[in-house]
Amino acid sequence: MTVFVRRVSRELGVDLSLETRHEGGQTIIEVGGEIDVYTAPKLRDKITELVGNGEYNLVIDMEKVDFLDSTGLGVLVGGLKKVRAHDGSMRLICNQERLLKIFRITGLAKVFVIHGSQADALAER
Amino acid sequence: MRRGVTRTSTGITVSIARDPALVRTVRLIAAAVARRASPDEEFVEEVRLAVGEACALMVGESASDAGPVTVRLALDTRLCVDVVAAGPVAMADSFDSDVDGVEPWALLRGLIDDLSIERDGDSTTLSMSWPVSAVA
Repeated sequence: MTVFVRRVSRELGVDLSLETRHEGGQTIIEVGGEIDVYTAPKLRDKITELVGNGEYNLVIDMEKVDFLDSTGLGVLVGGLKKVRAHDGSMRLICNQERLLKIFRITGLAKVFVIHGSQADALAER
Repeated sequence: MRRGVTRTSTGITVSIARDPALVRTVRLIAAAVARRASPDEEFVEEVRLAVGEACALMVGESASDAGPVTVRLALDTRLCVDVVAAGPVAMADSFDSDVDGVEPWALLRGLIDDLSIERDGDSTTLSMSWPVSAVA
């Protein structure tokens, strides 16, 4: 069977949601959906915008992320570099084994501080 | 494989334009084929991620008219996936080619034991496979 696909997936809806809020002097970005080669630039733009606004302590909540690829990892690494340039921090919230495995394979589990919940992340400022 | 279900040989070919928005569609198809091979969701997730990574490598980060990317999935005693695109593709991570220092090849090689890439004339084929019986 051969299937030809052209721009159909855009009609299936936006694949990434980003919600930002502030708590305890930190900026929490709640990410939902899929972070991939198509959607990762949206997350990169959001991080760039926040850093541009002087928000250097970021928490990326990935509990509602269904999929993450190397492009998404690249955006997270880029974000970490940006906040560190301002003596800031970027920590992750992730408790999904399938995502944690990706961080381990790429060696990034040692680069990021990864918390299991928002409560843990906010408690360990 | 679930008892009482007879596995038949499956072959699917998907051809997409070089548009990052379409990579997700291929991932969904790959996951469906993987699920036919095994109900193990960890295996399905691995196939979905690997095929998505391979497609993303071939498609690139921005839409172009460089010709389609074709993905062939064949399921028999192994699940074999070929991702074919016109033109050369870097066969290793370079120091500054990726977005922010993460290496897609490192992820692919960490995920898959059986991974190869071949250049034939003007096209590049990335091949990977998984034993089906081992996970069924």
